[in-house]
Amino acid sequence: MSVSLLALGVDHRSAPASVREALAFDGDKLGAGLDALSSAFPGNEFVILSTCNRVEVYAAGPADTIPEPDSLGEFLAKFHGQPHEAIFGHLVHYLDEGVVGHLFRVSASLESLVLGEGQILGQVRDAYRMAVERGTVRQLGHALFQQAIRVGKLVREQTGMDQGKLSVASVAVDVAREVFDTFSDKTVLVIGAGKMGDLTLRHLESLNPGRILITNRNVEKAEIAAQRWGGQAVPFENLHQHLIAADLIISTTAAAEPVVSYDNFLRVQRARRNRLALILDIAIPRDFDPRIGDLDQVMLYNVDDLRAQAEQNRLQRQKGIDPALVIIEKETAACHAFLRHQQDVGAVLRQLDSQVEASRRRELDALFAARPNLSEADREAIERMSLRLQNQFLHRPRAAVRSVAADPVGGPNQPQTPSREQPQAHPLLNAVRHLFGLGDYASPQVSRKVP
Amino acid sequence: MDRLTVLCFAGTYGLALIAELARFWVRGAARWYTTIGLTLLAWLVQTAYLVNLGLDRHTIPVTTAFESGMVLSWMVGLIGLYLMAHSTRHTAVGLFVLPLVIGLATVAAWWAPRESDWQHWGGVTAFWGTVHGIFLMAGAVFSCIAFAAGLMYLAQSHRLKTKKPPRIGLALPSLEQSERVNRGAITLAFPLLTFGLVIGVILGVLTHRQHGGPIMVTTAPLSWTDPKVVSMIITWGVFAVLLHARFRPAMRGRSMMMLSIIAFAFLVFTWVGVTALKLPTTHNVRRVMSAPATDAESSPVPEGAVTP
Repeated sequence: MSVSLLALGVDHRSAPASVREALAFDGDKLGAGLDALSSAFPGNEFVILSTCNRVEVYAAGPADTIPEPDSLGEFLAKFHGQPHEAIFGHLVHYLDEGVVGHLFRVSASLESLVLGEGQILGQVRDAYRMAVERGTVRQLGHALFQQAIRVGKLVREQTGMDQGKLSVASVAVDVAREVFDTFSDKTVLVIGAGKMGDLTLRHLESLNPGRILITNRNVEKAEIAAQRWGGQAVPFENLHQHLIAADLIISTTAAAEPVVSYDNFLRVQRARRNRLALILDIAIPRDFDPRIGDLDQVMLYNVDDLRAQAEQNRLQRQKGIDPALVIIEKETAACHAFLRHQQDVGAVLRQLDSQVEASRRRELDALFAARPNLSEADREAIERMSLRLQNQFLHRPRAAVRSVAADPVGGPNQPQTPSREQPQAHPLLNAVRHLFGLGDYASPQVSRKVP
Repeated sequence: MDRLTVLCFAGTYGLALIAELARFWVRGAARWYTTIGLTLLAWLVQTAYLVNLGLDRHTIPVTTAFESGMVLSWMVGLIGLYLMAHSTRHTAVGLFVLPLVIGLATVAAWWAPRESDWQHWGGVTAFWGTVHGIFLMAGAVFSCIAFAAGLMYLAQSHRLKTKKPPRIGLALPSLEQSERVNRGAITLAFPLLTFGLVIGVILGVLTHRQHGGPIMVTTAPLSWTDPKVVSMIITWGVFAVLLHARFRPAMRGRSMMMLSIIAFAFLVFTWVGVTALKLPTTHNVRRVMSAPATDAESSPVPEGAVTP
């Protein structure tokens, strides 16, 4: 009895946000969904991965009980109360080895909207943890998801795909971290109360700056922004004084002329006793004279500098795609071989038990038919004795077969790289099959990916 | 044989440096653990070597320029190991500290004098000679830290000024952190070097002429124009300027880091450069003569000569 893997769902490529939202398993729905899946398709393992950009159900189980993709699609539509036709055109599914490769690419963030983003690995981990809590994963699910989390980490570590930020605001935060060590003793000054200032502050909030000053020609706007960010609105007329107090300056005004000239800032820097300063001038046209960046202890970044750095980071991440795919291909083959191997071991153990049990039962029935005068107590004693004998005879073969589970590449004499073309059973499994007449090794199906 | 032993741990530090350089191509955790492991191994071997040296000579191994250099590299190695272990794996502290450790050990082994007049004095002079060595060595440790922090600051500052994104796996400490370490190291280095220098000057004057049984051993008089004295005074002067720069806002940042590097260069020159370049110095030169004798009759003997 072979075991199959199935993954079915929608992602940011296959479905618009409205469909993804409709199929999302958020809040209590996730646990309820796992329970409902286990009830609807008993004997199978399930994990649900539900994020902003994808909703996927991963299923593993014996080939004769695992749901068909259409059945699982029907379940999703029914569970979420969606019409069949609203979601079916958007569903994508993968089978067997395709499931392994897809999950590895997902956890390595190659399938993410933002290449190399770090959240997805945590989301895969959470999905697996939830399935463990609900008891909807067993041997195959454990192996598959533990490997996926490991591969996700490995790809990030080997390719550095998670390094460097891709948005202007998050690059600004990275630059701030490269200039300053601590932020609890720093003052952030925001000049202008526009959207860009808000966006940058949202990212800078994670640094927990000691004090936030917000200044704007329109005092009301400054006060609203200050309330939003727990800062202090300060008068624009005293900009010189605020610049002296600030360590990190974010400028986002819509002024047509530079707000701070070189000479002005030179005086400010003297008054600041030449402390380190980081200026993020994200206004267009620029608010700070570019020559200010030449001052020794002043780092001046304008919006183009931040964009260029984000672009370089993006290119750097793209360079990591090919090495990541090589790692994933290798790991997918190894994991699939391992899963197949686990299945073989399980199948041999089940066949061995059922065949020997059938022989024992047949012989007991023949004995009891030939000796009808045996008392009930004698029959029970003979039955117990035969069971003990069976267990004693099978103890070593069972232990040997189980030991094979830890050696997925087929024994010491087999090649160490798992073959994807012609998967072979472990020699010991073949020997057990042959000795106990369990039949030949059934070659697994070639994996399919159905778009 | 001695150099061979030094080669053992310097070579292990070298392997650690190679593992550290591999950060440009290898990004796994194994590389980081290899670097830390090799650095620790090298440091342990060096510790054993220094313990052996101390037991052999029955004193703390800071009495010669060679021993001071070895202890200096050992202490910088320990601080570097601590910084490497406590930084994130992406932070390239080892790239700055390991070459320094290797450089100090190599320079000490190949160019630093292995004999000192202090070794041949007894009692109070030997004690103060050791104190002189310890103070100078401690000052040198902090100068090395200031030097490494200065280099890291300059590299980080240059990268930020040119708006280049950080290379993967090659993160540096923040400018603020490097500046703080540099400033702290200079603040500690200056008084230590000053005390060491003052004790050295006093010892130089007091031990100018001492008698020992039938043999009179004397150090050659140290002149203020002696290259070693001049370079040490310049080093001290640079450190004084550095300390002063702490309170001069205009000198913060690059200027201070450049001065730290210059100060370190002078320190290395004073320590081994004068001897390596064979400049005419009387510091640490022993003269042995028969008693009774006068200074005029004394004749210099090569270093390490056995006194009758």
